[in-house]
Amino acid sequence: MPSLDTLLSGLAKERATGALRIGRTGTVYLDDGRITYMTCTRVPGAERLLAAAGRVPESALRRMQSDGGTDRLLEEGRVTLGELQYCVLGAVLDAAFFLLPATGTRPKFRPGEGHWLGGRWYFDVPGLVRECARRRARLAETWPRADADTAPVRLAPRLAGQSVTLTDVQWEVAVRADGEATPLELAKRMGRSGYAVLLAVRRLAAAGLIVTEEAAPLPQRVKRLDLSRPRTAAPAGGGPLGPAVNGDPTDIELLLRLRKALEELS
Amino acid sequence: MTAREVTVLALDSCLTEVMAIPGALDAMLVDHTSGMAVSFSGQPNGVDADKAAAALTEMLRASMDGLARTCPGDTVRIGDLLISTDQGHHLIRVMDTLFEGPLVIYVRLDAERSNIALARHRLRAISEQLLA
Repeated sequence: MPSLDTLLSGLAKERATGALRIGRTGTVYLDDGRITYMTCTRVPGAERLLAAAGRVPESALRRMQSDGGTDRLLEEGRVTLGELQYCVLGAVLDAAFFLLPATGTRPKFRPGEGHWLGGRWYFDVPGLVRECARRRARLAETWPRADADTAPVRLAPRLAGQSVTLTDVQWEVAVRADGEATPLELAKRMGRSGYAVLLAVRRLAAAGLIVTEEAAPLPQRVKRLDLSRPRTAAPAGGGPLGPAVNGDPTDIELLLRLRKALEELS
Repeated sequence: MTAREVTVLALDSCLTEVMAIPGALDAMLVDHTSGMAVSFSGQPNGVDADKAAAALTEMLRASMDGLARTCPGDTVRIGDLLISTDQGHHLIRVMDTLFEGPLVIYVRLDAERSNIALARHRLRAISEQLLA
């Protein structure tokens, strides 16, 4: 089966108009070969972002969807054109980040179908692919362990240092993290884009503020070598990307943080 | 709507307005959360827009962190940032948005031909048209 981006490139070349449904994961909307909108069920859409911001209630958005569309949304002065474009831009790139790597389901194309929020900003396939790759690289740069993306967010009960500075998204994560919700579940509750929350969580992890499944927040000083400790550990959360973790996870955690600190110094 | 005429600025056309500021050399619109260059105009030779946007994001984050530690208790909300170098000026306008962000306008100004006060005023006006 061809990958989703080759499929989309083909549709772009044919200048297709319609919706490409990717199983239950999401939908890509095209107009004359240009991508106008994208949804992914794993992350909040533009409607949720607008509603979470408190500017337009979701009921009003549903009403406009069936009557008046984005023209009415702009006419009523609830959002400016710039805000709408920015919101759609953010929502589509966020959906693309989680939808483009999706495999397994056979996509179905329905000609003529459109999305009511589409048409205010256009995307091309190579641009989307490049931006998603850049975002992925940025996540890895921030904190190299991908299991932070899928594991429930558990905050360290104590700070390793004396004080810490948090960004707005990190604060929201800290307030809502209940030890069970994963980053994407938190994103839906917060009405924030999935990527913003993944990045915030990885930054928290890099700062040593997240307790991982196997490791304590800070490695304890070991007085004597404990040979009874298992030297291998399976990756948590059904397997993150990358090679299997060998050795003591506590040591690896420390090494990763050490590496990051050295990289920041250079 | 009010009688006040509001010019609607689109995200993709606002850089044309920014470049019309006297002395503007190049400009960029950056999404601070993702570090993405939303749009850019006339990058100088050898500058990659993606890398420039990422660098700008890091700089802004460092400024925010630094100020948060310098003036604790004062909610740090940067409006704009001006950096003068021997070659010219760098003016950065930070726009709070409702959903995510902030959205950042960056403009590089010529030292001789620009007027900082005017540029700052114009940039603020543009950001108000973009996100009311």
